[in-house]
Amino acid sequence: MDSFLHANLPLAEAAKSEGIGWNIFVYSGLTFAIVFGFVALARKGLKGRVYTSLPTRLAEHLFLFLEGMTVNVIGPQGRKFVPFLLALWSFIFVGNLMGLLLPETPTADWSLNIAMAVITVVYVQWEGIKANGLVGHIKHFAGPKLGGAMVVISGLIFVVEIISELMKLVSLSLRLYGNIHGGHLVRESLDTLIAGIPLGGLLLPLKFFTCIIQAFVWTILTCTYLAIATAHGHDDEHEGDHGGHGHEPELAHA
Amino acid sequence: MESIAVGIGLAVGIAGLGVGIGQGLAANGGLQGMARQPEAGKQINNAMLLALVFLELVFILTFVIGILLVGKIH
Repeated sequence: MDSFLHANLPLAEAAKSEGIGWNIFVYSGLTFAIVFGFVALARKGLKGRVYTSLPTRLAEHLFLFLEGMTVNVIGPQGRKFVPFLLALWSFIFVGNLMGLLLPETPTADWSLNIAMAVITVVYVQWEGIKANGLVGHIKHFAGPKLGGAMVVISGLIFVVEIISELMKLVSLSLRLYGNIHGGHLVRESLDTLIAGIPLGGLLLPLKFFTCIIQAFVWTILTCTYLAIATAHGHDDEHEGDHGGHGHEPELAHA
Repeated sequence: MESIAVGIGLAVGIAGLGVGIGQGLAANGGLQGMARQPEAGKQINNAMLLALVFLELVFILTFVIGILLVGKIH
């Protein structure tokens, strides 16, 4: 029992302290610096006809990977979202990676995650409004068009959709926070299991894998939200037609 | 206050059990689909990852509740 309480002591202390954690500003600034430095290095290699420098090639692979995922989920018109997704991916990935070697992780702090979730969800709403218009976007929350007395049902669907939209904030931020912070807790507990032997180091490969997966998960969820928000509401009505509206290539993916 | 500690252990354990079974089923379906139709592998992979992520959220929520409860152990 004693060792169990001991392993959780730092957490209990952290829960008691109510101040601003200035560390998070330092470490997220460091994350920004690393991402910008990498991008600046990669940009230098863009001059030649063939990309020979290593950062440029890595950045190209990352871009192609995310572009492939976006086109797979949203369709060819989703290419304009790739810069936003790339920024999210690189920030989350570098932020997660920091926890492997440095004492503090920016993404293991819920405040940073909820800020990123707010940015993501607001951006998705903005793109939805741009694609369907304000009225169309709000109508989109009410589900399919129902006639007569079924308006009550539409109202209910509207309320549920708004709640689920708000829950996206919670689920996005808590997922990243839980995964990264949970990994740290497990490592700390393993470190205190046998005094003097840092057993938690054995978890490093697994945690590295988690870093990649979590960054990927955030971007693919953003992709899915974008695909739902920017889908044109009249597509499902055309499905009953005999293929007369073949001008939209994304129908092939549906 | 020991009941809280036992409760946290039970909560995380049971949630892990359920989520483990669920994720196993999802991965089973996805991998079988990929083996039978390798050409659809990419799309199945994306859908499977999404399913795994949503299942994992259940466990993460349990974990966060556990963290909140750990602060109540005196």
